[in-house]
Amino acid sequence: MSLLSYGDRPVEIAEGETVLSALLRAGIKAPHGCRAGVCQGCVQRALQGEPPAQAQEGLSDAQKAQGFFLACICAPKSPLILAPIESSSPRLDAIVRSMDLLAPDIMRLRIEPEAAFPYRAGQFLELVASEDLKRCYSLASHPEEDPFLEMHIRLHPDGRMSRHLSQNLSPGDRIEIAGPEGNCFYEGVEPDQPLVLIGAGTGLAPLWGVLRDALRRGHRGPIRLYHGARDRESAYHAEEMEVLARARENFAYRPCVRDTAAAHGGDVAATALADEQASLAHAAFFLCGGEKLVARLKRELFLGGAKLKHIRADVFTQAV
Amino acid sequence: MSTLYERLGGEKAVDAAVDIFYRRVLADGRIARFFDTVDMERQAAKQKAFLTMVFGGPANYTGKDMREGHKHLVEKGLNDSHVDAVLENLATTLRQLNVGEAEVKEVVTLANSVRDDVLNR
Repeated sequence: MSLLSYGDRPVEIAEGETVLSALLRAGIKAPHGCRAGVCQGCVQRALQGEPPAQAQEGLSDAQKAQGFFLACICAPKSPLILAPIESSSPRLDAIVRSMDLLAPDIMRLRIEPEAAFPYRAGQFLELVASEDLKRCYSLASHPEEDPFLEMHIRLHPDGRMSRHLSQNLSPGDRIEIAGPEGNCFYEGVEPDQPLVLIGAGTGLAPLWGVLRDALRRGHRGPIRLYHGARDRESAYHAEEMEVLARARENFAYRPCVRDTAAAHGGDVAATALADEQASLAHAAFFLCGGEKLVARLKRELFLGGAKLKHIRADVFTQAV
Repeated sequence: MSTLYERLGGEKAVDAAVDIFYRRVLADGRIARFFDTVDMERQAAKQKAFLTMVFGGPANYTGKDMREGHKHLVEKGLNDSHVDAVLENLATTLRQLNVGEAEVKEVVTLANSVRDDVLNR
């Protein structure tokens, strides 16, 4: 067996040669920068095999846990199979268990994969309806608490996937999935660190998973969840959150509906930024929502003093 | 004789400096637009590579890399005044981290040595 493969493709590598140099020599477009293990521009991911520990130095705990490493300083001692960039993960079948509405335009989809599907709460998967109809959805379920995978799906009148799901799919049907992916999970957070979860719309799904994971792992620091929604009805799961907030001394829930005249009115980003001023320098942040919201929060939190490595984000893009 | 990189504290020092430096640059109205990308992690990684280089640490940048990496910015109007602003932010960052004046000068001199490559001239 070759010491290095890029997906199915064996790549020739000389003794002591780095993965980056072998990939480039084989004509594979591998991104890179400093070639000294510093800039992290060359990260690759091992699907199989253990990259040497020194090739993972400086990466986040979430990245290490998923097999990421720095190709420019990695001279493999044992076989490595890399995940080709831009290629899809292996697929498996899942059975639809239930579909119901959490809000007038948000559907909860629960499916059961037919084979083991290891993931971390807060990651996302890809639903594959057909070769030209695939979308990523964050998981709201918890791998140890739930026997199903749960997604919260915004129903767009013009969205091809959401229309397909709501019109053509029923419990008992089969759907293909691929994944999981994503760095937005509870790893590398200190148990006493303030944990701030900010999301809008169905961005609540991964945060719900991260929240339960944090509590399960014994997070002791304060946890504050801000959920932005169009109106009171779209602030779904409010009841569950309020129950949890009453039961757990260290958890606070703050719904922010766009109708500022309503109770709990206000812009979620503005509210969170104002309330979190004092915790910026030491809190861990999880951000999930549309690109504009996440980019704004990331920038403002960072400029306000948050450490970049303490900001984890998942951007929801809308495809029609 | 230890190298400048070692005297400054190696990778730990770079890590300590990168957030402060990138934050200063993003907040500096004169140059923020050149650093304003959606992907902040990638941008921060580039800042880290830059700081490692100017700290005299391991970096294999060549003049050609610096030229190619900044070409699109020169087209957007990158000039000497912007390089000056970056050097100023760099010096302030180091002083904030209590780096001595002699070392600050060394780092700024190293950074200044790539000015012509950065500006593609």
